Amino acid sequence: MSNIAGKAYAMNVITPIRWYMAWINKLIFWAANRTPSSLRGLVTLSLIHYARWVIIDRWKFPHLDPSQPKEDLHYSYMLFFSNFNGSWDQYVDSFTFAIPSGLDLFWKKNVRYPKSVPLTPFHDYIRHNQIDTDHYYNAYPLASSNDVKSAKHLKQELIAFDQGVRDAGPEEFLKKYHALLVDLQYDLGDMQPAPIVSLATQAVDARRLLDARGPR
Amino acid sequence: MANISGNAYALTALSPIKNGCIGEISYADEVQDRLHGLGVCEDSPLAKVPQTYLARFFILDDVFYESTPGCDPFCNLLDILSIFKDRFRLLTLPREDHLKSRYLVFSSNFHGDLETYLRGMWSAINADIKRIWEHCVAFDGVRDAEGFITYIKRCRLTANLFFMGSTDDSLEEQLKALYLKQQFVKFAVSHQGLGAAELQEAFRVFIERVQPNRLAAPTWRPGQSIP
Repeated sequence: MSNIAGKAYAMNVITPIRWYMAWINKLIFWAANRTPSSLRGLVTLSLIHYARWVIIDRWKFPHLDPSQPKEDLHYSYMLFFSNFNGSWDQYVDSFTFAIPSGLDLFWKKNVRYPKSVPLTPFHDYIRHNQIDTDHYYNAYPLASSNDVKSAKHLKQELIAFDQGVRDAGPEEFLKKYHALLVDLQYDLGDMQPAPIVSLATQAVDARRLLDARGPR
Repeated sequence: MANISGNAYALTALSPIKNGCIGEISYADEVQDRLHGLGVCEDSPLAKVPQTYLARFFILDDVFYESTPGCDPFCNLLDILSIFKDRFRLLTLPREDHLKSRYLVFSSNFHGDLETYLRGMWSAINADIKRIWEHCVAFDGVRDAEGFITYIKRCRLTANLFFMGSTDDSLEEQLKALYLKQQFVKFAVSHQGLGAAELQEAFRVFIERVQPNRLAAPTWRPGQSIP
């Protein structure tokens, strides 16, 4: 089990919501999809790679065969999956401090949601409803979400720079090179393996070492 | 559809696991054990699946009973009824739900469309797919890529909101950009203070080596965990 893959943490939260409240939440999500500016608060949380909210109506759990018993539930359920950088506390707290109203808007109609402020009941609510990941894969464990975005900018600028200095003399090249470094100064962080942020991460690293050694 | 944001796709699939046991081990526990045995980072089978940014598996054993204090408006309203009789107060307690099946949850964030992705997944790791989904309801009818696509579509849930905080470029594009970033940082640090002509020549050699426009190589490998 690991919720961590390199610099990314996988959060899975499942919370009940009354079926009629689920429709209101769906409407809110629909409106958020139609007006991307409403997600500006989330964009400011630049530690997120990708996140999603999925509402499963209580009668819509996948039923694939007559041999499978049909679910008989009182509530619909909201799934929240996130891929973010940093520790659990940093992430949950950043939601509370950066976008408490937005967070409440998305969850408020869920059964026994305590609101994002104050912190401790909100922590307890997420912990209570969180499910650990059994296998987590990250295509770029060395990189944070900000690294991916800055790498994209750096690649574009580097290619443009290379094309722009092919016929330049040395002095002109040097001048433009310095300008490039100034332009890219926020994108030049080195990428190394993530520091150990938890005992779970340490356990994963230990497991990897054991796996690398192979069976005795 | 909210599963899509730009060129990125959010797949959420819940595959019911058969109720029953192999000896004393339930099918769901067996699936979970197999997931725990998968390699990580570049050794994960998902590293072979084209265009996968981030993906996860977990077992949904059951849903939770909301026994913690909360303040959703419905409960607060009903709490007022407690001034009449205790049984009204008890009515405000959340109901108890339990799932009748345990579910294998597969969630993936990837570049491109669903069918191409699943076809690529089957082509790359069909042995792992069969091992992971073996004990799921109705999976025994899956024989090929088309069968797998149909099966996952039956298990798929539609996202209500998909937030992309990163980029939706192809994985090759993302990995090449990260490789260039890493290499250029090293170049910039190690070539400080050089004269103009020397630096220009060093940069020409650097560009020849890293080939910024060639995505295939040199680049980072999917799942690469060592710089």
